[in-house]
Amino acid sequence: MIDAIKLRILQGDPIVHDVKNAHLPKLFRGLPAIADKPCPEGCDKCAAVCPVQAITLSPLSIDLGRCTFCPLCEEACPEKLIHYTSNYHIASDKRENLIVTKDTKKIPHAHAAKKIRDYFGKSLKLRQVSAGGCNGCELELNALNNVNFDMGRFGIEFVASPRHADGIVITGPVTRNMSRALEICYEAVPNPKIIILVGTCSIAGHVFENSVQLQRQFMEENKIDLYVPGCPPHPLTFITGILNFIGR
Amino acid sequence: MSSLQIQNNQCFRLNEIIFAEKNDFLKTVSEHLSGGFRMLGLFPPDKRNPAKIIAVLANAGYSELCIAGGEFPADKLEFESWAALFPQTNYFECELAENYGYTPVNHPWLRPVRKQNVIAGDKPYQFYKLEGDEVHEVAVGPIHAGVIEPGHFRFQCHGELVFNLEINLGYQHRGVEALFPEADSNRGIMLAESIAGDTVIGHTCAHCNVIESLSNTQLSLRAQVIRSIAEELERVAMHLSGLGGAANDIGLALAASSYGRLRTLVINSLADLSGSRFGRGLFVYGGVRFDFDRENIDLIIKKLNTVRNDVRVINDFLFSSTGALVRFEKTGAVSTDSALKIGLVGLAARSCGIELDTRINYPYGAYRYFPVSQITLSTGDVFARTRLRALEIDESLRFIFEQLENLPGGEIRAAAGSIEPCSGAVSITEGWRGDIVHIAITDEKGGIAQYKIKDPSFNNWYGLSLALRKTEISDFPLCNKSFDLSYAGHDL
Ligand code: SF4
Ligand code: SF4
Repeated sequence: MIDAIKLRILQGDPIVHDVKNAHLPKLFRGLPAIADKPCPEGCDKCAAVCPVQAITLSPLSIDLGRCTFCPLCEEACPEKLIHYTSNYHIASDKRENLIVTKDTKKIPHAHAAKKIRDYFGKSLKLRQVSAGGCNGCELELNALNNVNFDMGRFGIEFVASPRHADGIVITGPVTRNMSRALEICYEAVPNPKIIILVGTCSIAGHVFENSVQLQRQFMEENKIDLYVPGCPPHPLTFITGILNFIGR
Repeated sequence: MSSLQIQNNQCFRLNEIIFAEKNDFLKTVSEHLSGGFRMLGLFPPDKRNPAKIIAVLANAGYSELCIAGGEFPADKLEFESWAALFPQTNYFECELAENYGYTPVNHPWLRPVRKQNVIAGDKPYQFYKLEGDEVHEVAVGPIHAGVIEPGHFRFQCHGELVFNLEINLGYQHRGVEALFPEADSNRGIMLAESIAGDTVIGHTCAHCNVIESLSNTQLSLRAQVIRSIAEELERVAMHLSGLGGAANDIGLALAASSYGRLRTLVINSLADLSGSRFGRGLFVYGGVRFDFDRENIDLIIKKLNTVRNDVRVINDFLFSSTGALVRFEKTGAVSTDSALKIGLVGLAARSCGIELDTRINYPYGAYRYFPVSQITLSTGDVFARTRLRALEIDESLRFIFEQLENLPGGEIRAAAGSIEPCSGAVSITEGWRGDIVHIAITDEKGGIAQYKIKDPSFNNWYGLSLALRKTEISDFPLCNKSFDLSYAGHDL
C-alpha cells in the first residue's frame, strides 16, 4: 500500500492540460514554413531528394499528406527556404488543405457537418484498423490513452467492436491481405459513421505506394472525413484534429 | 565443410561463395546445424536464378557467420527437409518454398508465411485441427480488440486449456524486401525506418551497417556512439512499454500507467535528439544527421534521471506484488531445450538462459569498444521475460549515462563510398526483441540485387505458440504481451 502511495506521488501531474497549446521539442517537425522568396533558377534540389514525391516546384509546395517529415528537403535547399516548425496542428478534413505553399500560415481547422457534430460532439467511439501499419502509428494512437494525453477525458475512445463504434481510424497503406478485413469492419459500423486516416501510409501510401502488395480501393470508394498527417502523427495532432472536427 | 566464413558487417565477394552440388550443400548445412549454428537466412542471392541458394548460418560461441551455397537442378527444386531434426529451420524452409517454389520433402509442417490465400480467395489454408468430442476451436483476428496490428490466431482447446495455438500471419505484407532493390539511398533509409515502427533504430541501424559495409564507409566513433545511445533509448522505451503492457494485462493499473509515463520521457528524449519520438530521420549512410550538444544532453539527462529513479520504485511495486507474481510465474514457460531447438532469439531466448545477444556475441559499432553485459534468466516464463526487461533497462540506462557523459569528439557524418559490385554483406544488430538481420547482395553495377531481412519475430512467433501449450487460454494476452512480437517485422 505504502509503495502504491509512493508511486502515485511520483506520478505527479504528467498530463498535458492544454492540448491546443502544448510545447513540443525544438526539433519536432510539424507544419513546414516556406519562405516568401523565389527559388534559384532551375533548382530542384528539394524535390529531387524527397523520397515520396511530396514536393511540387514553381511554385514550391509540399503535400503533407505525402510528406514523411524526414527533413531531407530542409537540408537540401541551398537557400534555406524550407523550415519545419513545431506547429503540430496539421490535421484537416480536406485533402487539398494539406498542400502547403509560401502563403500557408496554418492548416485550416477541420469541421464536421452539423449532423456529425450533434451526434458525436460529446462522445466519439472509434474502431482502429491497422492495415499494414508499421506499428509506429499504432503506438502513437495507443499513447493517446496514457497519462500524458488521456484522450478519454474528451469522451473520445477506442472500442473493441465495430458495432460499438462511430467510425474507423485507418493506419497503414492498406495491404492486399487486409483490404477485405477492412471492408468487413467498416460495414459493421452503424450509420452515420466517419473515416479517419492516420499517417502518411494511409493517406498516400508512403514509400510503399507502388508496391504490388497494396490494395487501396477502399480509399477511393469512400469519403474520408479527417486526415491526420505524420509519420507517425504526434498524439496531439490527432487529439486537436478530432476536437476541432467535432466542434470542441 | 565448404563454406565461406565471415563476420558481422564484413563485405565479401560473391565469387567467394562455394556453390556445392545439392547433396553436398544439404550435408554442409546439416553439419553446421548439428555443430550449434543457427540459421539466419535461406534464399537465392540472385532472384532470377532460384536454383542457386545460400544458407546463412551463425555460431554465437565463435562470433562466426558462415555462408554455404548450393546449386539445384533447375527443374527440380526439391530437397530433404532439415526441419524434422532441426526445427529451427522449419520456417525458413516454408519461406523458401513460398517465395521460390522449393519443395522441402518430408517437411513436418509446411504452411504459409505471408501469402494469405485465406483472404485472397484462393484455396483456403487448412489450420491444424484437433479432433474429439470435447475439443473446441477459438479463432481470433486478423483484427484484434485493441489498437494493434493484425494477425490470426487459431486455438485448439480442451475446456480452458490450450493444446495448440497456430499463428497465421501475412496481413501486414507490404512487400518491403522487393522494394529495396528499386530504392535510392534516401528511400532505402526511409523503408528501413518503416519495417517495424517500434524498432526504427534497430532496423535502420542494420540497414545502414549493411550498406556501409558494402561501400567500405568508415564511421567516426562519435557517430557510432550516438547510434548506440539511440538503440539503447529505443530498448528502454519499448521495455517500459512491455512492462506496462504486462502490468495492464493483470489489472495493475497504477504500475501500467507509471511505466507509460516513463516511456513518454524516453521517447521524448529521442525527439530531443532527432525531432521524432521514434528516432526517424536520425540515420544517414556514414553516420547520423543530428548531434548532441550541451542543451539536448541536459534535457535528456534530466528526463532519464527521473526514469532511473522512478523505474526502481515501480519495479519494486510490481515484482513484490503477490498478485503479479502468481500470474507471471510458471505461466507460458518455454524450456531451454525447446528454445534452443526452435531457435528462439533475443529477450525470449535470454529468458530461457540462452546467452545470445548480438551486442556481445557479434559485436558491432560502439559496442566493440564499450561493451554491455549479457543478462540471462532461466525459467523461460512470463516472469523471466518481464523481469529481464527490468534488468535490461538498468543496463541500458547505465550505458546511456556513461556514453552521454563521455562523448568522443569528431564529425558525425562521413562521406559514404560507392557500393561494391557483385558483393554481399550480413549485418546483425540487437533490436529490443532480439537479433535483426539485414543481408544485401549487389549486382554487376553495384545496385542492390537481393535484400533479405529477418526480424527477431520471425523466429519467436513460434515460441509464443509453444508457450501457450497446456496454458489456459485466459493467459494468452499476458503471454502474448510478454513476447510482444512484431507483425509488420515478420510480414515485411
Ligand atoms: S520532409 Fe517531406 S517533403 Fe521534405 S523531403 Fe522529406 S518527405 Fe519530402
Ligand atoms: S505513416 Fe509512418 S509510422 Fe505510420 S504506419 Fe506508415 S510508416 Fe509507420
